[in-house]
Amino acid sequence: MYKCIHGCADGCTFAIMSTVKPIKPARRSRLRRLASPFVAPPVFDFWAQRLHPTWSWERPLARVVARAPAADNAVTLTLKPNRHWRGAAPGQHVNLTADIDGVRITRSYSLDAPVAADGRITVTVKGVEDGRMSRHLLAAARRGDVFDIGPAFGDLVLPKTVDGAWLFLAAGSGVTPLMALVRQLAGQGMPAPVTLIYWARTRAELCFVDELRMLAAQHPSFDVRFVLTREAAITADEAGGRIDRALLDTLVPDLDLRQTYACGPGGFVATATGLLEGRVPLLRSEAFTPPPRPQTDDSGMVEVRLARSGRALQLARGVPLLEALEAEGLKPKSGCRMGICNTCACGKSAGATRDLRTGTAQPEATSALKLCISSAVSDLVLDL
Amino acid sequence: MSKISATRRLSPQELDAFGAELDALHTRTMAQVGKVDADYIRRVVRWVRYCAVLGRGLLFVGAIGGAFVPWLLWPACIAGVLFLALAKILENMEVGHNVMHGQYDWMHDPELDSKKYEWDIVATGDNWRHSHNFRHHTYTNVRGMDDDIGYGLLRIFPEQRWRPFYLLQPVIAVVFALYFQWGVAIQELKLGRFFAGKMPKGKLARDFAPVGRKMGRQLLKDYLIFPLLAGPFFLPVLLGNLVANGIRNVWTYVVIFCGHFTADVETFPKDSIRNESRGHWYMRQLRGSSNIGGGKVMNLLTGNLSHQIEHHFFPDVPAHRYAALSVEVREICKRYGQPYNTGSLPRQFAEVSWRILRHAFPSRPRRGAPARELQTA
Repeated sequence: MYKCIHGCADGCTFAIMSTVKPIKPARRSRLRRLASPFVAPPVFDFWAQRLHPTWSWERPLARVVARAPAADNAVTLTLKPNRHWRGAAPGQHVNLTADIDGVRITRSYSLDAPVAADGRITVTVKGVEDGRMSRHLLAAARRGDVFDIGPAFGDLVLPKTVDGAWLFLAAGSGVTPLMALVRQLAGQGMPAPVTLIYWARTRAELCFVDELRMLAAQHPSFDVRFVLTREAAITADEAGGRIDRALLDTLVPDLDLRQTYACGPGGFVATATGLLEGRVPLLRSEAFTPPPRPQTDDSGMVEVRLARSGRALQLARGVPLLEALEAEGLKPKSGCRMGICNTCACGKSAGATRDLRTGTAQPEATSALKLCISSAVSDLVLDL
Repeated sequence: MSKISATRRLSPQELDAFGAELDALHTRTMAQVGKVDADYIRRVVRWVRYCAVLGRGLLFVGAIGGAFVPWLLWPACIAGVLFLALAKILENMEVGHNVMHGQYDWMHDPELDSKKYEWDIVATGDNWRHSHNFRHHTYTNVRGMDDDIGYGLLRIFPEQRWRPFYLLQPVIAVVFALYFQWGVAIQELKLGRFFAGKMPKGKLARDFAPVGRKMGRQLLKDYLIFPLLAGPFFLPVLLGNLVANGIRNVWTYVVIFCGHFTADVETFPKDSIRNESRGHWYMRQLRGSSNIGGGKVMNLLTGNLSHQIEHHFFPDVPAHRYAALSVEVREICKRYGQPYNTGSLPRQFAEVSWRILRHAFPSRPRRGAPARELQTA
């Protein structure tokens, strides 16, 4: 049910069936429409970026304007998007694309605060072991770096008028979209009772602690609890242990009245859903996919979704995708069938594949996957 | 005058081993592809942008400045033409051609995306991806399958049937060279089939629509918009653009013809590729291609098609690696007793020119010469 739509190997990637409409691209001004037949965007962008790093014809770009440590192994980046980016609601996330050693890597990150009046946004990134993007953002990203930024998506957003009592359940970096909601509500003077329960392994991994405690002190209707799974609780607003019914009942006596948003790793969200489904008046959740385990076994089947035709197929691992698709009666464009002519190359928006000539796994999304020499490693989404 | 000495016939087992060694070289090379290659192609793209602006700028200086300071006209215009031609050559050959092969798809850069790239030439990227990437690279020099053999216009090999029309080809070849981009643009339209009455008008019209749009766009850019920017002094700009396009045309023609039409290059009948093994495919690429000797400048200006053999072996390897790869490729070919066809540009082009002259007249495959078909023991 909770499936990452990007096939990310990193954390901070969420996706569920979205109920919030995606933001429409801006209508272009008349001048731009008239000029567009004469403009080659790559050439325009090249020269525009000699003048300013995020000027472009139509590509949404964002520049890092500040970075600050957020916790152990976590960093908060402040980004200034250019005018082509269409904004986001608190609780939504965006795809950021960085150039890492010549390869562009895309990952989703939740904004951890509402978009500022001057258009700046902040994301808090937690380091993921073997996570190429998060490692890069933690260690190498500097002020002045420019990322491509995608449109906002995700539906952990609050209704226009916030009624009733709310419960936010966060685990690890799942706190970021919920932090954006807490900050949004704080900006409105906390119009409804809100409790945030925030799980982490250790105290040092917690982000936003001082701010959350300050908000709790300021607003009697806001309550925060930090739950540690590997350390003992010390202060009054701390608790210990993993998520279960007893813990929830202790921390939230009026649980049955709480409209609940949950965000965290897949296992956490699944447990929370199991405990709360049918019990609370509203339940929404987002889970991020764990990094796919390196697959060495090329047997068995995977699910291949074809985005354009809307079909879903069960295909065998270890077999060239072109052959497997043809065996299902499809006829993708193809040419040499040996990996040289690029005719069968199609977009892969999610999932890992293996180059059958070199044996190397390709975990990233790509616009040109050669079907004739690639086999599925995990479930895939192809632009067919 | 053959540069190629004895060619050893390979057994099917030897062919397999030959193919496996080249496959291994491909795998080893792809494992190293990364930041160096990304930096390289982005550097070339930067040069393309700077050269184009410098070239167009100098043409304006020559055209407008030359009207007031007469001695400025010729030097500025000549320099402008050369820089603009250089920009177009680099963009077409080192960026466009190689990007469309998918050599940089691993970068996931939308501006270097093989499926979407559109180059500064009247031919559309989409047609090129089919006629070149698929037909030419898969069926290299297979008669009736690789449309690049003489481009349906020239008789380069004695195996092509002679017709009186070919008596004109020494002249046609020169015109073809001058307008090479137009030849490439209409290649995929298969006008020959249309004029022979084998293609309905509607199909031609449909196929022509995107080509016509691209042609219009290129013409508008080089012969209307940029000249108009010079106002009343448009003429030198227009002519400069014409010459720059012409230089690019002739250069690409020379490089491409030297890659497949030198004296010892072979063509193959259709039945030679039935159930073709990997080793046999490599062998056909080797026998159907020829390199151009020279240094780094030659490699850059030809988009590394100076290493046509390596390009045909490994069309998805970033092309600037071909020069380094050629050391090992040569060594492998030598061990298997296979010819490695290379020579200086004048020598290779002299061979091409001779072919065009010779086969304008009736000719037959030489008897007693090493068999022109790819053979195995």
